[in-house]
Amino acid sequence: MEIFFQQLINGLTIGSIYALVALGYTMVYGVMKLINFAHGDLVALSAYIGLVVMMQLTGASVPNYIVIPIVFIITAIVIAIIGVILERIAYRPLRSAPRLSAVVSALGAGMVIQNGIMLIWGPRPKIYPADVVPNIYWNIGGVSLGLMQLIILVLSLVLMVVLYLFVNKTKIGTAIRASAIDQLAAKLMGINVNKIIVLIFIIGSSLGSVGGLFIGMYYKGIYFNMGWIYGLNAFVAAIIGGIGNIPGAMLGGMLLGLFNAFIAGYVSSTWADAFTYILLIIILIFRPTGILGERVAEKV
Amino acid sequence: MNDKKTLVGFLVFVAFLLIFPFIANSRWLAVGTTFIIYSIVALSQDIVLGRAGMFDMGHALFFGLGAYSTAILNTVFNVPVLWTIPVAIVLPLIVGILLAAPIIHLRGDYLLVTTIGFNIVFEQVLKNNLFGITGGPNGIFGIGAPEIFSFQFFSQQSIYFLSFFVLMLTFFIIRNLETSKIGRALHYLNEDSLAAECVGINTRFYRLYSFGLGAALAGLAGVLFAVQYAAVSPEAFSFIQSVLFFTIVIVGGPSSIPGILLGTFVMFVLPEIFRQFATARYFVFGIAMILTMILRPRGIWPAKFGRIPKYMVKD
Repeated sequence: MEIFFQQLINGLTIGSIYALVALGYTMVYGVMKLINFAHGDLVALSAYIGLVVMMQLTGASVPNYIVIPIVFIITAIVIAIIGVILERIAYRPLRSAPRLSAVVSALGAGMVIQNGIMLIWGPRPKIYPADVVPNIYWNIGGVSLGLMQLIILVLSLVLMVVLYLFVNKTKIGTAIRASAIDQLAAKLMGINVNKIIVLIFIIGSSLGSVGGLFIGMYYKGIYFNMGWIYGLNAFVAAIIGGIGNIPGAMLGGMLLGLFNAFIAGYVSSTWADAFTYILLIIILIFRPTGILGERVAEKV
Repeated sequence: MNDKKTLVGFLVFVAFLLIFPFIANSRWLAVGTTFIIYSIVALSQDIVLGRAGMFDMGHALFFGLGAYSTAILNTVFNVPVLWTIPVAIVLPLIVGILLAAPIIHLRGDYLLVTTIGFNIVFEQVLKNNLFGITGGPNGIFGIGAPEIFSFQFFSQQSIYFLSFFVLMLTFFIIRNLETSKIGRALHYLNEDSLAAECVGINTRFYRLYSFGLGAALAGLAGVLFAVQYAAVSPEAFSFIQSVLFFTIVIVGGPSSIPGILLGTFVMFVLPEIFRQFATARYFVFGIAMILTMILRPRGIWPAKFGRIPKYMVKD
C-alpha cells in the first residue's frame, strides 16, 4: 500500500508538469488546428534559460525564496517572446497553406530550437543545483512528500485554476473560445483573431516554461533533446483529454502522469513509453476524440 | 507535351543512376545506395500520406519490420536472404492492415499521433529484446548477402544495382497505381472523403489497401537496408526516422514522384554533402525546412492536377 501512495504522489507531480505543457499544445490546437511540434523544444529551452538566470542570481547574495520567483518570471517572459516570434515567422505565413505544411514548419522550428540549444550549451547534459529548493521531505506513514513536489502540485493547480477562470469568465477568454469555435465568425463579431493567436502563444509558452523549469528542478538533469520526450508525452496527454479542450488537457496530463508512475512502480520502467501509447490507442479506439473531446462527425 | 517532358526527365534520371556507380567512390556509392533505399521508403510513405491523405508518422515501423524479418530469419534461422524477401513483404503488409484497421476512421491528427505511438512501441520492443531475438539496443550483425544462381550480391556495386532494380519496380507499381481505378479512388478520397463515400467509393477498403501497399513496399526496402549494412539496429527505425520520411514527402511534394525523389535528395543527400559543418548542420536545416514551407507550401515539386480529372476536361 505504501508503494501505491508513493506512486500516487509521484504520478500527480509528473502529471501536473505534463498538464502544464499539454495546455500549450491544446490551446494552440484549439484555435489554429495546428500541432505545434516546437512546443516541447521551447519547454527544453526554458529549462536552460532558467538555469542561466538562476546561476546569475545565486552568485549575488540573494536568498533563494526571492531568486526562484524571479527566475520563473524572467524565463516565462523570455519564452513567451520566443513563442510569439515563432508564431510570426514559422506559422503565420502558413495559415492558408495545406495543414501538413504547417506541421513540417513546426518540426523545422523544433529542430532549430533543439540544435540551437546544442550549439549554445553543448550536447552534454546540464545539472541543476541541488539546493535551489531546500531538500525537505515529510514522511507520512512511510510515504515521502518532498517540498519540491508540493510546490509543483500547488503552483500547477493555482495556474490551471487561474487559466480556467480566465478563459471561462473574462471577456478576452470568451474571445479565445469564440476563435476556437469558428475563426471567421469570430472575425465578423469584431474579434481580432491575430491578437488572440499571439495571446495564446504567450499563455501557452509561459505555462510551458513553468513546466520546463519544474522538469529541471525536479529531475535535476537536463539535456538538449529532452523536448522530444516531454513534448510528446504532453502532447499525448492533450490528445487523451481531447485536444483543444482545456480541462481535457489537465485531466489528460494527470491521468498520464499517474499511469506512467504506476507502470514504473508495478511493471517496468523500460516499457513505460510503450504502455503510454498502448493506453492512448485503446482510449482513441473507444473515444476517437479523447475523453472530454467533442463528439462530432468531422472529415479528415 | 507534359508527358514527353516527364519521360525525358525520367530517362535522364535513370541514365544518371546507371552511370553513377562507375564515377563515384565507395563512400558516395554507399550514399547513393542509401538514397535509393530511402527513396523507395519515401515513395511508399507517399502512397499512404500523399495519395490516400492519411497522416501516417510511423512509417519507419514497416521499414524496420522488413529489415528485422530478414535479419532474424537469416542470422537466427539461417534462411538465405533471398527466401526472407517474401516474409519481409508479407509481414509488414499483415501488420500494417491489422494496426490500421481499428484506427483508420480516426481524424487526421489523432491518426498521426497513433501511428507515432505504434512506432515508439515497436522501438521499445526492439530495444527491450522481446523473445530474445531482436538483439536489444545493439541490433543484429552479420546478415548474409543475397544469392541468385550462385551470384552473390556482395560488392557495394551489386547491392546498388539490386536497389536500383527495386526502385524501378517501385516506379512501375506507383505508375500502375496512378492510372488504375484504385489510384483515382485514392485521389478522390484525399480530395473529399465524404463526397467519395457518397458516390459509392468504399473508403475503408481503399484506405486499408493503401496502408497495406505502403507497408509492403517499405518492408521490401527494409530487406535492401539489412543487406546493405549487413546489420540492423533500433535507431535506424526510430520514430525520428519516421519524421524524416514524413518530412521528405511534404517538403518534396505529395503524390509527385519527382517531388519525392527531390525531397529525399534534399533531406538526406544534402546533409551528407555538408557533413563538414556537422554541428550546425541541423540548425540550418530546420531554418531551411521552415523557409521551404513558407515559399512553397505545397512542396518543392508538387503534383500538378486540377480538381477535375484530365479525361473529363475538354481541350
